[in-house]
Amino acid sequence: MDSSPLILTLASIVLASTPLIIAVCGEIITERSGIVNLSLDGSMLMAAMMGFIVALETGSIWFGFLAGMAVGALFAFIVAFGSIRLRQSQFAIGFVLTLLGDDLSAFLGQNYTRIPGPMVTHYPIPVLKDIPIIGPIFFNQDIVVYFAFILVAITWFWLFRTQPGLRLRSAGDRPEAGFARGVNINFQRYLYTIVGGALVGLAGASYSLNIKIGWSEGITRGLGWIALAIVIFGGWSPIRGMFGALLFGATKALATYLQRTFPEVSVVAFNAIPWVLMILVLLLVGSDFTERLVTIAPKSLQKPLQRLLRISPPQALGSTFVED
Amino acid sequence: MQDFFAKHPSAWRAFDIFLPFLATLAALGVGAIMLMVFDANPLVAYGALLEGAFGSTNALADTLVKATPLLLVALGICIAFRGGVINIGGEGQLILGALAATLVGLTFPELPGYVVIPAALIFGFFAGAVWGAIPGFLKAYFNVNEILSTIMMNAIAVQGMNYLLREPMIDPDQLEAASRIPQTARLSAAFDLPRLVPTRLHLGTGLAIIAAFLVFIFLWRTIVGYRIRAVGLNPDASRYAGINVPRNIVLSLLLSGAFCGLAGAIQIYGLHHRMFTDGSATGFTGSAGFNGIVVALFGQLHPLGAIPASFLFGALIVGANKLQRVMQVPSSFIIALNGLVVVFVVGADYWRRKFARRREAEVVSEELETSEAEVPT
Repeated sequence: MDSSPLILTLASIVLASTPLIIAVCGEIITERSGIVNLSLDGSMLMAAMMGFIVALETGSIWFGFLAGMAVGALFAFIVAFGSIRLRQSQFAIGFVLTLLGDDLSAFLGQNYTRIPGPMVTHYPIPVLKDIPIIGPIFFNQDIVVYFAFILVAITWFWLFRTQPGLRLRSAGDRPEAGFARGVNINFQRYLYTIVGGALVGLAGASYSLNIKIGWSEGITRGLGWIALAIVIFGGWSPIRGMFGALLFGATKALATYLQRTFPEVSVVAFNAIPWVLMILVLLLVGSDFTERLVTIAPKSLQKPLQRLLRISPPQALGSTFVED
Repeated sequence: MQDFFAKHPSAWRAFDIFLPFLATLAALGVGAIMLMVFDANPLVAYGALLEGAFGSTNALADTLVKATPLLLVALGICIAFRGGVINIGGEGQLILGALAATLVGLTFPELPGYVVIPAALIFGFFAGAVWGAIPGFLKAYFNVNEILSTIMMNAIAVQGMNYLLREPMIDPDQLEAASRIPQTARLSAAFDLPRLVPTRLHLGTGLAIIAAFLVFIFLWRTIVGYRIRAVGLNPDASRYAGINVPRNIVLSLLLSGAFCGLAGAIQIYGLHHRMFTDGSATGFTGSAGFNGIVVALFGQLHPLGAIPASFLFGALIVGANKLQRVMQVPSSFIIALNGLVVVFVVGADYWRRKFARRREAEVVSEELETSEAEVPT
């Protein structure tokens, strides 16, 4: 088995990116149905806290994951109910829930800070783990990591290659047209906001059970906002979202490496890097810079490149749908 | 009940205005149940809350002092919301305003107060404006989601603050004592905003209330304010009417940030007299940048509505601290109580709108009846 420092670093990047990948998939499902669940940062904290406590008390990490998913689903349900039934601004509700999740997790978890607990066991896949380079990076991991990558594939397939996926996207893109075709738009939105929220909860629990074991106040703070930015960067596609999450993990690892190499540079510079990077990424994606870049490429490549780089948000994203 | 409202249309307005307060009472009712779970007598607890917020001159002054940054931030949030953008960057803009204002005071310790204080407040105002204009510019010309970019700008501001307060701006005394607490030196006492001795109430509260009226006049009585609101209501129609939409998006976020920056500057010169950090944003801001959003929503996104709303939230925060000390309930109960109030107020808005719809339907049907009666037969 190859265990050069570079391979080990890459493997740790893959591991550290899994919560982001799962959360991004969940939020993509939600936003594709036309709802923005802005509570990500708070619900991930709540899920990380609940997941760890339940796993610790029951002794089973599976109950921990279930608890995390339940919390995430509950937060998502509040967002869906508030925006669909009560017709409130989903951004306001999501944001208030973010604050609430941050505070509530600190309160409920105060007796469980910094104590060791159960963690996901390492589970290398036989045969596959022996493939050179790829094996130790992707297949010498644990079951949550494998699940994250399978989830990306399932999400992509569900969204773009199945009938239910079409109905889901119609709710986010052309709710009126979908409604005329007999799709219960608001049911779709409830369903996929809750499913997406459960995945976000799973992401939170996977952080406290698999990345940084245990609970301490604000353990995942910031991760939810990063995930929301990566959803845009990924153009609401799970596969691009996955690359975005891995890229983010890689830049963070690079920042840590640079920090060790240049100790004279203040640590806050490195702390600020991911945020500056995210603004630049959003800038790149939002402007027509990429489109202009494509025109440099050879003619035969322009079409596929355009399709690869095109980003279009669900057209009815964030708007309420009223049957009449 | 309906007859009563039909006879007195102005009663509806009163009802609309008092609904948030009714919602707050309902939230406190749920809070009472939570208190009983903690084995605390809710009557005693809420007595302590009221006493803590209004019980003495000092208490009342503290409530007003707490409400001041909330009001200023809420004014900024009102402008942004009316302009159709969401500003979650209040924390960062507040920090930038405070840093800039502190820098003015530290740089010119010899100048008289009547020069430095206005200069510092203006400087803070502009620093917040810059920090708000960046996401505005990105939103208007590069289609960057302002919710995310303002959050990122918050994080960057916190890191910048931590760096400045640990290295270049640190109190020389802290360096000498080698304790290295990340804070600046105390500003010259000549720069303190006038204070109502012996309380902590300072001139900033009055400035904030004046600002609320200015923002109201700006938004509803000037052309520039009208354009901002037009863009917020319908960007497409505004474009056809010849309004420069991107420029107004930048302007609304710029002004939004400016008032948050002013809040930071006033916190320094009225209350803290030095800048400090605990490494996170809330250490200095006390989450005013976030709570201001809640206050603005509570005041129904109206600058004048924000005045009572900020007073109520200031009272809730100050009173809740007293409640917690007296009753020995976990401090997080206060946070949960705040959250409850927010949820109830947002929920109450649903009922307000539902009533408004029914009311309109009644008016329309009445008009129909009268017009039918007029049809000659």
